[in-house]
Amino acid sequence: MQKRCQKRNAKKASKANPGAISYRLKCAKTANGLSHFVMYGDAPKGKSLL
Amino acid sequence: MNELSYFNISGGQKTAIDPDNAFWGIMDNSSIPQNLLSLYAKVKDRLNTEFNEFRFGKELSAIYIDPTDRCNANCPYCYIPAKLRNNGRSMNRGELAFILKKLARYFNRFRRKPVIIFHASEPLLVKDIIFEVIRKFKKEFYFGLQTNAILLEEEDARFLKKYRVGVGISLDSHLAPVNNRLRKTKEADGNFEHAVKAIKWFAGYDGLNVITTITKFNVAHLSDIVEFLHGKYVPCVLLNPVRLTQKASYALKPDESLMIEYFLMAVDRAIQLSRDSGRRIIIGNFTNIILGIVAPAARRLMCDISPCGGGRCFLTITASGKMIPCGEFIGLRRFSGGNIFKTGVNEAMESKPFKKIRARIVEKIEKCNSCIFRNICGAPCPAELHSLGNMLQPSIFCKFYKKIIEYAFKLIAENKVKYCFREDGLNNLEYDYRLGG
Repeated sequence: MQKRCQKRNAKKASKANPGAISYRLKCAKTANGLSHFVMYGDAPKGKSLL
Repeated sequence: MNELSYFNISGGQKTAIDPDNAFWGIMDNSSIPQNLLSLYAKVKDRLNTEFNEFRFGKELSAIYIDPTDRCNANCPYCYIPAKLRNNGRSMNRGELAFILKKLARYFNRFRRKPVIIFHASEPLLVKDIIFEVIRKFKKEFYFGLQTNAILLEEEDARFLKKYRVGVGISLDSHLAPVNNRLRKTKEADGNFEHAVKAIKWFAGYDGLNVITTITKFNVAHLSDIVEFLHGKYVPCVLLNPVRLTQKASYALKPDESLMIEYFLMAVDRAIQLSRDSGRRIIIGNFTNIILGIVAPAARRLMCDISPCGGGRCFLTITASGKMIPCGEFIGLRRFSGGNIFKTGVNEAMESKPFKKIRARIVEKIEKCNSCIFRNICGAPCPAELHSLGNMLQPSIFCKFYKKIIEYAFKLIAENKVKYCFREDGLNNLEYDYRLGG
């Protein structure tokens, strides 16, 4: 429900000012394998953007 | 005290950014839209909290182990002193198992499964004991391995895939002579043939990445390297500017303006190849910069953040058991936080050298403290800058970082960043908030 509201609000905002873009992704938060090596498999596959 | 700063990006657009929590908005080059300001007012306190937790959190999630000081290569820019690479020691079976057991006990209190990365010099010189602990501790840890692939055999590749080990292969050019000049070996020409063969064995393996160190000899080839690796089904490449931690690497420093030009061409090439072929190749360090903008807490690489991840999110255990904040400090004095054979990880984390690295933040660095990109770039690298006289100075490649961050914003404005992410994650995108776009 909340997600639907967010989407609706985002659409409204978009219509109000099509020139402004701002967003933040929340899906890929991880606190594992933080290093300078590209580790893969330590974070859920579907949530890893890198 | 938060506030928005502004800069222009190409295409006649303007960007607003709060450098202290990475809130941003891209707009036409006119007045600031009210809905953007309202959104900022609504989310900024929460973003501040999240941002500071991520920056200043002090929980280890990865440990580098250098199981041997020795190397079968002789790369001219290596941050490990030649004396150590030639005459250093290697861990034995008992020592490595002791460390893994000790680390397993340390991490037992946390909910996460930590990562162990076998790293420099060349870990496959002690392949047998590494593979043994990977088998033995597979439930306790995820594993990664950085290698020049000279000693890698097809059977090893099967083993590493079976145990889902993250594998980084070092390759500096798609041209054998250029690569072999940089990735020299002691007894043969270089690692080109080995690395390319190994890359084939891992074709289609999600856990593969290739590391290319950018020097003046390969800077002009970055796009071609990306294309070459894409053709070999490599999903991720790191194009890392050479670190000047050891004096010998000065002679290889690329011209910064050229590096900017060719790096951005490589970014464009990766996007074009990913889009046209339907199969991704991402430039990992550039993707991490984009994450620093659109999902700061989802960053994976801990060099472009301040304090950096050294002695905070990860540490390195050398072949003699010394615990240092990051492998980059191996040739530098007074950065040991103790020896794992005598003391513990907690003691290292609370040691003076580790605290010193954690205290190195961009706010303390003149020029960085007024830079709007300070928390996207992080002014890397403290080890490199310390070896150059003072770690409280901007990055050697400051201009490079500024330009690639500006370019990342441009790609965000053009809605092209999706080609810079791994596809799996892209299919599950969720927005914390979203305005326009």
